[in-house]
Amino acid sequence: MPVAAANLMRYRELMATLAWKNIALRYKQAYLGIAWAVLKPVSLMLIFTLVKSFVGIKSGSIPYPILTFAALMPWTFFQESASDGVNSVVGNTALIKKIYFPREIFPITAVLTKLVELGINFIILAGMMAWYEMVPGIYILWVPVIIAYTVLTTLTVAFAGAAVNVYYRDVGQALPVLLSLLMYASPVIYPLELVKEKLLVHQAAGDWSHALYTLYTLNPLAGIIDAFQNVVLRNQPPDIGSMLPGLVTIAVLLPASYLYFKRAESYFADVI
Amino acid sequence: MAIIEVDHLTKEYRLGALHSFKQTLLNATARFAGKPVAERPRFKALDDVSFQVEQGEVVGIIGHNGAGKSTLLKMLAGVTQPTSGSVRVDGRIAPLIEVGAGFVPDFTGRENVYLNGSILGLSKKEIDRKFDEIVDFAEMAQFIDTPVKRYSSGMQVKLAFAVATSIDAEILIVDEVLAVGDLAFQRKCFDRMEDLIKRRGKTVLLVSHNIRQIQRLCNRAIMLDKGRIYRDGNPEAVCTSFYAQSDEKISSAMSLTQARGLNTSGELELIGLRFIDRDGKPTDRISYGRDCVIRFTVKVLTGLDEVTFGFGFHTTDFLYLTTHNSEEQLRIAHLPAGDHFIECKIANLPILPGVYSLRFGVTAGTAARTVFYGENLLHFRIQGDIPITVRDGFFALDAHWAVASAEESPLSVVTMAQRLKSP
Repeated sequence: MPVAAANLMRYRELMATLAWKNIALRYKQAYLGIAWAVLKPVSLMLIFTLVKSFVGIKSGSIPYPILTFAALMPWTFFQESASDGVNSVVGNTALIKKIYFPREIFPITAVLTKLVELGINFIILAGMMAWYEMVPGIYILWVPVIIAYTVLTTLTVAFAGAAVNVYYRDVGQALPVLLSLLMYASPVIYPLELVKEKLLVHQAAGDWSHALYTLYTLNPLAGIIDAFQNVVLRNQPPDIGSMLPGLVTIAVLLPASYLYFKRAESYFADVI
Repeated sequence: MAIIEVDHLTKEYRLGALHSFKQTLLNATARFAGKPVAERPRFKALDDVSFQVEQGEVVGIIGHNGAGKSTLLKMLAGVTQPTSGSVRVDGRIAPLIEVGAGFVPDFTGRENVYLNGSILGLSKKEIDRKFDEIVDFAEMAQFIDTPVKRYSSGMQVKLAFAVATSIDAEILIVDEVLAVGDLAFQRKCFDRMEDLIKRRGKTVLLVSHNIRQIQRLCNRAIMLDKGRIYRDGNPEAVCTSFYAQSDEKISSAMSLTQARGLNTSGELELIGLRFIDRDGKPTDRISYGRDCVIRFTVKVLTGLDEVTFGFGFHTTDFLYLTTHNSEEQLRIAHLPAGDHFIECKIANLPILPGVYSLRFGVTAGTAARTVFYGENLLHFRIQGDIPITVRDGFFALDAHWAVASAEESPLSVVTMAQRLKSP
């Protein structure tokens, strides 16, 4: 791990250049340019709002559109950067076969690139908050911490996924499907409060309710999305209780994922 | 202290396709159950290779296709890991392996210079400082803000080469990059390489199939063969044994097989092509400095008028050495249909020992239209010893040295008489 950190320092300029390349490349010949970055969360927000008007999802004191948009921001970031990260090594075959630099630079750069798009979504969020006359409180200072945690979560998927993808391209194919399933298992369309209420207050699953809730929150995205909504919209601190299982997941899986990636990287050029 | 140390380096690849996921699972289960697993056969791309390179050495690496040259360079560049043994490199490496690997077609030349520079390990400041020099060298000032996808391939390579050679690395790894651009630019690249090597004292590893280049630039050569070091030492000696091996390979496949550029009007066929001895019998023994006779057997299908024959020698890499045609010596007003033998006698064959190839052509009519032309028609070996006065090249000159008296003009101190005149 100290080696990894030293590498990051040493290659920070290269990562910045590669991230700039990814962004510039994506919008080079697109007329709407960077505006495409907000298209996905905004359109999903509109659809969810429409659906909500049929089925009725309780959103508490927060207007549903902004609640779901605040969920879609970390979710879209996670989803897109994880799938870009997984494909980043295979997508750079030409470089992998010619020049050596630490290979983790590819997934890391892919994830960092998406931070720029996340940043643009903050402008939309600010606009919506102004519309609903919401004022952020002091807890908004948590946002960088939550984003950093989201980046680590994404890297956990990206490292292992990118390494396996070199051997079996199935991963690149399967990931979008798995991620869209995971969206329903994360509090994106519905707030976490609903799950909490059903399981912890109403004990909907009987004796298993607590265990089921822990299982649900083992998905780090559950804690991330809820914390993000808390600090931005509800002006509350993150709910550590619902974040803890996810934190444990990442604390265990991130080092494993990274070590697997480092072990596999010496064969990338031979196999890819 | 050696700057590069390669110690018992071995690299194995497994042959065949990657296992399917199912096969991997089955194998894992079998291994778990303690049963033997069918392994894919292995192939040693490098087999126990050891050598050291000192600071400032310029090492040429030669060998036939598949000898392990590129694998070795990849290992030195750290792109792939050895199966066993070790590589130690002491200093910054600039890999000029296939320049332009990182070019993005949608980016302008300027953007690509920055991108490629940082991929090769330059900081933004360094690139800023060197930018003008890079653009100047590549002769690209006019196009630098145009997307690279609109460049010609030559322009791309020029720019890539300029970026790659601007790196201040202690060790340069060069894989066949000097064959870039037009002749003028190749010359420039060559000069730049020479400058890096001779004046700035860089350590260079150069892989090339152009042996003449290796002889010119390197002060040491390593020849690889089937993953092992076949010879290591003085470039002259190593290149000579490389040529010997190439010749061996080519002459063992000696035949009319790979005729090249075959072009025939259908009025004439070449049905036989042999060297013959004094008794008119076919022979493969052609000796340097001796007389020899080539016999062409042609089948004329429709009568031809005003026929001229011509032949030439070229090296196996198609360097044309000499030609000769029958125009002044043989007037054939009409050649009727049927088989004909044409012979050409060469006196005191001045071509040095080695393997060469033959081309042959026939023209007919007053406008001398081509009715037959082919290259690489016959590989043959010229035997004999190279005279001590001739170090290298393809021809022996019949030259004589003398010390002339001081009153004479300095130009005539050495008199030479060329013997390559037509018979």
